[in-house]
Amino acid sequence: MDLFGSFALLLAFVCALYAIGAGIVAIRTRNPLLIKSARQSGLAVCGLVMAASASLAYLFFTDNFSSAYVAAHSNRDLPPFYKIAAFWSGQEGSLLFWSLLLSVYVFSVLFAYRAKHPELMPYVGVVLAGVQLFFLTLNNFVANPFQILGAASPGGAMQYTRLADGAGLNPLLQYPEMVIHPPNLYSGYTGFTIPFAFALAALLARYPGEKWIHLTRKWTMIAWAFQSAGILLGAHWAYAVLGWGGYWAWDPVENASLMPWLTGTAFLHSVMMQEKRGMMKVWNVWLVFSTFLLCILGTFLTRSGVVSSVHAFAQSSIGPWFVGFIIVVLTVCTWAFLMNRDYLRSNNHLDSMVSRESSFLFNNLILLVACVAVLSGTLFPVLSEWIEGTKISVGPPFFNRVNIPIGLFLLFLTGVGPLLAWRKTSLESLKRNFGGPLVCALAAGLLAFPLGLRDFYPLVCLILCVFVTVTILLEFFRGARVIRARTGSDILSAAGQLTLRNTRRYGGYVVHFGMVLIFIGLMGAAFNRDKQMEMALGSALDIGPYRLILQSFDTRPEKNYTAERAILEVMEDNRQIMMLFPERRFFQANQESGTMVAIHSTLKQDLYVVYAGRTQDKQTPVIHAYLNPLVKWIWLGGAIVVLGTILALLPSRQAVLALRPAARVVPAAVTPQTVMTGVSNYEGHD
Amino acid sequence: MKATIKFLAAGVLVGAALGLVYFAPAPAVAQETDHAKQIGKRLICMCNCNQILTACNHVGCTVSTVMLKKLDQVVARNESDDLSIQAFIQEYGQKVLAEPPSRGFNRIAWFIPGIAFAAGLIAVLFVIQHWRKPSPRVADGPAVRSDILERGRRQADRETEE
Repeated sequence: MDLFGSFALLLAFVCALYAIGAGIVAIRTRNPLLIKSARQSGLAVCGLVMAASASLAYLFFTDNFSSAYVAAHSNRDLPPFYKIAAFWSGQEGSLLFWSLLLSVYVFSVLFAYRAKHPELMPYVGVVLAGVQLFFLTLNNFVANPFQILGAASPGGAMQYTRLADGAGLNPLLQYPEMVIHPPNLYSGYTGFTIPFAFALAALLARYPGEKWIHLTRKWTMIAWAFQSAGILLGAHWAYAVLGWGGYWAWDPVENASLMPWLTGTAFLHSVMMQEKRGMMKVWNVWLVFSTFLLCILGTFLTRSGVVSSVHAFAQSSIGPWFVGFIIVVLTVCTWAFLMNRDYLRSNNHLDSMVSRESSFLFNNLILLVACVAVLSGTLFPVLSEWIEGTKISVGPPFFNRVNIPIGLFLLFLTGVGPLLAWRKTSLESLKRNFGGPLVCALAAGLLAFPLGLRDFYPLVCLILCVFVTVTILLEFFRGARVIRARTGSDILSAAGQLTLRNTRRYGGYVVHFGMVLIFIGLMGAAFNRDKQMEMALGSALDIGPYRLILQSFDTRPEKNYTAERAILEVMEDNRQIMMLFPERRFFQANQESGTMVAIHSTLKQDLYVVYAGRTQDKQTPVIHAYLNPLVKWIWLGGAIVVLGTILALLPSRQAVLALRPAARVVPAAVTPQTVMTGVSNYEGHD
Repeated sequence: MKATIKFLAAGVLVGAALGLVYFAPAPAVAQETDHAKQIGKRLICMCNCNQILTACNHVGCTVSTVMLKKLDQVVARNESDDLSIQAFIQEYGQKVLAEPPSRGFNRIAWFIPGIAFAAGLIAVLFVIQHWRKPSPRVADGPAVRSDILERGRRQADRETEE
């Protein structure tokens, strides 16, 4: 099976190489057969990479410890569920997984547009095959997951070894989220290749109009949704597994995933300027290029060992390959831009400073500044060591101090932007749109102050959250009111109809609302508390409204590990509310330990309990308890962000109605449905 | 309709008030004021995890245990915070600080976001200024009368906002 996988990978490499060569010749000669051949070669890569991935999965599930990769990342007792996670737990497997996801994206694009956009698609195919070729080069020649354990005998013949058992999976990765977090994050990273390919292809082909923007929008949103979900799942994994009581530590790996998300978000906003007004063409192209380059840069940072991270599980000497690839991509992009920059010439014109266009410019500015702040903070230790000779740390206090004001400004723009009209917003419209939200926000601030919310940032955050929520609610309400007036339906179903009639606009508002919830959750971090205590049997630890009583502690052997756990009774207002079982696991296969945090989560706060081991002298359990307010809002907000994105991806019902045959006889009495189509002019903001 | 909006706004306000009463975290004054914790938040654990010293309790970390013990000893000496931190710098070097020191070359780390913001802001304002300049009229095209343009704008406003 290892030979099969190796062979499939090699064939995929050849196919990708052919797709590039044939694609370039096809573009020059306009030979339709060669165009088709290049496309089919691109499609074949997907099947071959899938075959290679299936064979690696087979090696894992059959405990084939003659495979070096399987022996290093799995063992017989590892539950099958975690054998899935073991696939991408090391350098070789994770790069193969990257190739797999990329090939699925490439297949989808090449197949979906096989009979469309004949001028553009050959270019797209070549760019995509180029990116695939880079990863397949790594898979085949640098980090091959199908290496066999063995050594050459003195006679020159290869003697294979099959180990009795493997070294096991890193304990930190033995958590359910590790089966879904990397696929999401990698789908985000690889997904940004599609808008990159379209942008570069449109530039190279000098493809007329804004067509490529329309084509890429949904692919960008899909990648963005995956990236958002991946980031949040990673944060949740860190929260539940690392046992330090937090979810975001501004670790280089976390930062690497955040940077393309920030530029991707900027693109999703500024692209509307190009769609609506034909503006910012150069900017949009470079935003797409930057997003893709940041994906590769992030991968380089986390895999090369340039920056240290508790999340990096696949470090090696692969860094120079990524540096080379970044240089090549940057060179190609710059060359394509310089050669074809007149194609991006646009008639930029602003009617007013107070307009939707201006708000997008500021939105992009803030997102880009956030990205620069994160990137500079992540790379500064390397720069400092290079110039000064001494390594320094850039930890969470720096990132928090720099990024909290940036984030709050962004939140402010989230509320302001959608209320501004395209071209020009009149003073009257400003008063009408902002009056209510502003009053509500300030009133909430005044209410919060006597309740103890007196720190500057949390207070400002609360005010802004209320402001944005009210603006979103009013947007829904105003639109729903028009539909209700015309159809007679109740306000909720009118809001539902409104959303379905312009999914893109109202899906966007849902995403904004999800972001508000995330900000509320982040605000709670300002009030975190913790307490650590050596607990004898029956002793109590008080934290916030909770009292934790140690009932017992034991050691229980499991198939893959031995767990040491504390049994804690949780009391609130002198009544028992639940039992918590924080534990510490010792994995025999790799002689490593891991924590399993116990969390009692409510909308108000999380009681987060870590079993920190036993004291050396008295063998007394040490319990570290945290009270983290509002954390659940982050996960809730994340789910709403993803749902909002899915909603925005759905086709609007309005468009479907417009496709109905026009020959339909209109009855004398006007039906609600026909009236609804008549309200189509309402949409003006998008 | 205005009454409905007022009703909605009042509803949101009441909701926010109730939410605040229920969800408001305990006031900051109620937090434990542990001097060691305050100093520990300015230090990084030297086990390469890049976490704050007081937050690093990942399993098997022997470095943070030693550092926390030292922190307790330093705090027990009742010296100023800066002196306490200096004791860590002497042992572990500048890398032990959670933030780049704001002197010498390292000050640049603090300047970069500000410079990026200022440069970006100037660029955006320049772009806005540039784009707001009236575009040259097409010589042979008919000019749109301002009253027609204004009427069109008003119509667009009506249709898109009400």
